[in-house]
Amino acid sequence: MNARPLISDLVLGLAPLALLAALWQALVSFGGVPVTLLPPPGQVFGRMLQQLLTLSFQQEIAATIFRLFAGFSIAVILGVSLGLAAAASPPINAVVRPIVRVLAPLPKVALYPALLLLVGFGHESKIVLVAADALFPILLSTYYGASIVEQKLIWSAMAAGTPPREILFRVVLPAAAPSILTGCRIGLVISCIVVFLAEMIASTDGLGHLLVMAARTFHAVDMFVPLITISLLGLILNGLLEAARSYLLRGFPEV
Amino acid sequence: MSVGTLFKHLAPFLACLGLLVVWQAASLVLHNDSFPTAIEAIRAIPSILGDKEALFNFAASLRRMAIGFGAAVVVSIPLGLLMGRSRHVASFFNPLLMVIYPVPKAALMPIIMMWLGVGDVAKTLVIFLGVSLPVIYHSFEGAKAVEEKMLWSGAAMGLSSLQRMIRIVLPAALPDILTGCRTGLVLALITMITSEMIARQSGAGNILFNALDMGQYDTVFAMIVVVGAMGIVFDALFEALRTRLVRWSEPPFEIPLSFS
Repeated sequence: MNARPLISDLVLGLAPLALLAALWQALVSFGGVPVTLLPPPGQVFGRMLQQLLTLSFQQEIAATIFRLFAGFSIAVILGVSLGLAAAASPPINAVVRPIVRVLAPLPKVALYPALLLLVGFGHESKIVLVAADALFPILLSTYYGASIVEQKLIWSAMAAGTPPREILFRVVLPAAAPSILTGCRIGLVISCIVVFLAEMIASTDGLGHLLVMAARTFHAVDMFVPLITISLLGLILNGLLEAARSYLLRGFPEV
Repeated sequence: MSVGTLFKHLAPFLACLGLLVVWQAASLVLHNDSFPTAIEAIRAIPSILGDKEALFNFAASLRRMAIGFGAAVVVSIPLGLLMGRSRHVASFFNPLLMVIYPVPKAALMPIIMMWLGVGDVAKTLVIFLGVSLPVIYHSFEGAKAVEEKMLWSGAAMGLSSLQRMIRIVLPAALPDILTGCRTGLVLALITMITSEMIARQSGAGNILFNALDMGQYDTVFAMIVVVGAMGIVFDALFEALRTRLVRWSEPPFEIPLSFS
């Protein structure tokens, strides 16, 4: 792809964001919306920059990121290994499949009260909830990716004398990588959302807690700051995952 | 073979039963006051479902969910298909959607509440926002993957671009769209519960979190069972609809890989 369409794409893409900001500013300036309900964008971003430099805000972000990563890592490890196992072994498949069928559509947020009662108000309940929510997209796409691996590849590896365990790691896992990474991407977005919700429901720190506190005291500016922060966090993590994806899949024909 | 198919149909029920047994055993072992046994929780369900006010709450929840979900599907599918077929539309909306995607929709609830009040409008809007993104995304992916040759043939046979959109792109992208709708359905339930938790006025989430605050633990767990059952039933119904609509494109991943 040459540079010109890329640049015009970028311009086109930034247009709605700019329009949104302009609309926001216009609503405040001319629409007569009171500042207590919709603070002007300049004030929100100024407040955010100011907050980002304070230690306490950084600690809140750190708490959120820690929970996010802990839950997401558990989900990736469990999801990929269960998905591979279910694709490779019929008995495991027979057990995992119905359980996933039942648990995947369950709204996990409804489980959160139970988690609070069982594992407490600390990090654990949030991490478990994040892991539970991110697990299923990763598991399902790993399973899907591993089960559409071409049988010929496996046969060739077997003909070359590769033991079954090694086939799983050296043929099936790399061949399923694109699908697994797509699942991870969905899982990551879900993790961002869920960690925030969990912190809103019951927490003493983290970005979600900041939002609830601001909402209770009707500080509109402080309500926008954590929301924009979690959106930026999601964008950055998404970008990192995308970079990891293009590095991991550098040998694949189309990504 | 009939035993095999029978098992296949029964497997989800067996899984439910197994999970309930694990729950029962865990609560008996842990012996914790705030963790009632499965039997106690299930015994509390009839009193919830028999209560007229609770049923009213459920009806309110379901009405909001249906309106939010329906509106989201009606808006998102055409938008996603357009994005998939036109590069300009795609590059116009993609960055905006990428920015909105990681924002927890239910977290917008406090802000939307300030603008629109705590009533139905705010909650329905939040559900609408939560459902529309996955539907847009999957419709986009589906429309992008439509084979060009089919569109060329359609154009050669004199279909206008609108007709091509409805008669070729829509059916070809339908499997993806329905996958998106399925994700959206689960998300609608999640957003419904969370929005009601934040603006406690009516609804299933209201019952659940009020019970938690008042320490009625058997009601909490009974509500979890009820909401979970709602999720499973909706998913099963939708899955039945989906298999009817797109039987031609059943993905071949029913067969596990063979290592022999």
